[in-house]
Amino acid sequence: MSVTSTDPLAPDVGVERRGIRLGDVFFKGIALLAAVGVAAVLGLLTYKIFQLAWPAMQEYGLSFIWTQGWNPNSNVYGALVFIYGTVVTAFIALLLATPLSIAIALFLTELAPKRLAAPIATMVELLAAIPSVVLGLWGILVFGPWVAEHLEPWLQSWFGFLPIFSGDPSQAGVLPAALVLTIMIIPITSAICRELFSRVPRDLSDGSLALGSTRWEAIRRVAIPYAAPGISAAVLLGLGRAFGEAIAVTQVIGSGNSINRSLFPPGDTLASRIASTYQGASSEIEVQSLLYLGAILLVISLITNVSAQVIVNRFQKARRMSTG
Amino acid sequence: MKRALVLVLVVTSLVAIAATAGTATAAPAKKQDTSLSGAGSSFVFPLVSKWIPALGSAYGYNVTYAPIGSGGGIAAITAKTVDFGATDAPLSKDQFDACKGCVEVPWALSATAVMYNLPGLKCILRLNGKVLADIYLGNITKWNDPKITQANGTCGLPDTKITPVYRSDNSGTTYNFTEYLSAVSPAWKSKLGVGVNAQWSAGVGARGSSGVAGVLAKTEGAIGYADVAYALKNKIRFASILNASGKYATPGLRGIQAAAATLPKKITSDGSLSIVNPPRGNPLAYPISTFTYVIAASGSSKAAELRKMIYWAVTQGQSYGKPLLFQPLPLQVQAFAFRQIKKI
Repeated sequence: MSVTSTDPLAPDVGVERRGIRLGDVFFKGIALLAAVGVAAVLGLLTYKIFQLAWPAMQEYGLSFIWTQGWNPNSNVYGALVFIYGTVVTAFIALLLATPLSIAIALFLTELAPKRLAAPIATMVELLAAIPSVVLGLWGILVFGPWVAEHLEPWLQSWFGFLPIFSGDPSQAGVLPAALVLTIMIIPITSAICRELFSRVPRDLSDGSLALGSTRWEAIRRVAIPYAAPGISAAVLLGLGRAFGEAIAVTQVIGSGNSINRSLFPPGDTLASRIASTYQGASSEIEVQSLLYLGAILLVISLITNVSAQVIVNRFQKARRMSTG
Repeated sequence: MKRALVLVLVVTSLVAIAATAGTATAAPAKKQDTSLSGAGSSFVFPLVSKWIPALGSAYGYNVTYAPIGSGGGIAAITAKTVDFGATDAPLSKDQFDACKGCVEVPWALSATAVMYNLPGLKCILRLNGKVLADIYLGNITKWNDPKITQANGTCGLPDTKITPVYRSDNSGTTYNFTEYLSAVSPAWKSKLGVGVNAQWSAGVGARGSSGVAGVLAKTEGAIGYADVAYALKNKIRFASILNASGKYATPGLRGIQAAAATLPKKITSDGSLSIVNPPRGNPLAYPISTFTYVIAASGSSKAAELRKMIYWAVTQGQSYGKPLLFQPLPLQVQAFAFRQIKKI
């Protein structure tokens, strides 16, 4: 208390407030309860998912993970098709969204005039406000057919020698799903990147410019290295979003049951298969197998989020050492 | 500060008075009509939506129905979040065990249409069960395949790729469709089997009948399936299917009636209500016809009202079906329904 009263910024010095201690204790209690509560929910949720999936885990064992096939009518279940679909769609989405997000963020912080930057930034962030089910509808009605009629034939005519662009175009498939995911994660990653670039110390980039480097060199040598660890954390957060998205993906991926080298035919992801077939599953073992898919998804998502946090921590530690 | 407080107090008390007045006037009205909530099959939805106002004027029941699909309906009645569920696929053994005290009553009869998008075709597409199964298995991939052109000689089938479209969600229509394909194709039976969903090996999945119709409309050469009321309402062309008598039948009322005419004289269980691929002897019989069911829980607090509603549906309610291509229940099925209703 005596320390804060010497602080010039501290308000109403010398005024004694009764009950402030009690309020502090009360507030601390509520905050603690909220924090512990959230942690408990995460723990209980994980426990419950594993508990409910347990019969399927016992029945199929770990080989469930690398078994291909999902036949509810003969009770053969395996996750490989969905793990593959989840990884491939998320990977493509990241591959496209990362450079785009960095470019958007750089444009908004370094290049665009203020009058232009503000509305564009708002629009990019509004993209995140579109409900995924609406994005999925747009995917079915507009985007999917456009991909099948224009984008896929174009890719085929130029890059048809690559196996990923072979076969017949399809309006529902892995590629449209990955592109819809790209649209969904750009607002997240670009907002974080923008924040990171705006924190690059002005004197650093100005110094670089003063030493005769071009705009691009200043960005490449100063801004990007400065923000790099944060960017990788942003990418991992986007990855978490891409892994978990269910509704929009269900609507455009076409729920296929096989692994294809080409990106055109339908596939399916873990989240999308759960969303499309959980309701009215015909047997208990099917429900438990779907929960097993859920457990796999949960583990993958937890790993990505934990690694994002580790990266951010390391980044902050390095920052503290360099500034302090 | 104080003035604001007073204002807030006045406003809240006014709202409170208004609210109590509202409930006071609404309360006596509520006692008169019973509300019954249902969810499930989208197949039967066009018919149920005709029933809802009729039930309102006959008994004063306030019935609501959410067409979320058979799978969703089974889930909802199992969790008892609705008063009745509706499904086109009879409950499996596991589902009956999970749905404590549930009684299944057949309450409507219609068919699944095989829809297609072939703009240049000069006649109604003719298909037999084996060809249909081969299309969905990915064995027949072009519309001008000899196996298809055989029955559609002069119709001008194009050299277009066939895109089979299926339901990605669990659906009673899929049950009817796979039940038929299993009956006519041993390969289908062993590879994909009968169920509300399957391990589809060719084509594209879409959510709901509207999803299937959406993909179908945008993809030339696509083939799909939905309840015939849906196909009709959305003006989508559908195929005639070869039946066991060697005739191509359409899913009209006469075709459905002829399929149901092959039922035994006495119905003892839901299992005997299957009318896909009916035996030879009814040249009009449409081979992908199906009964659809309502599920209610015995011992429900609204059991009396549910019995009354379902009794009405399987008797008077049947007359609402014809414009929607729902054929009235045959007498022996109605008798079976009466016996089931008693168990609720």
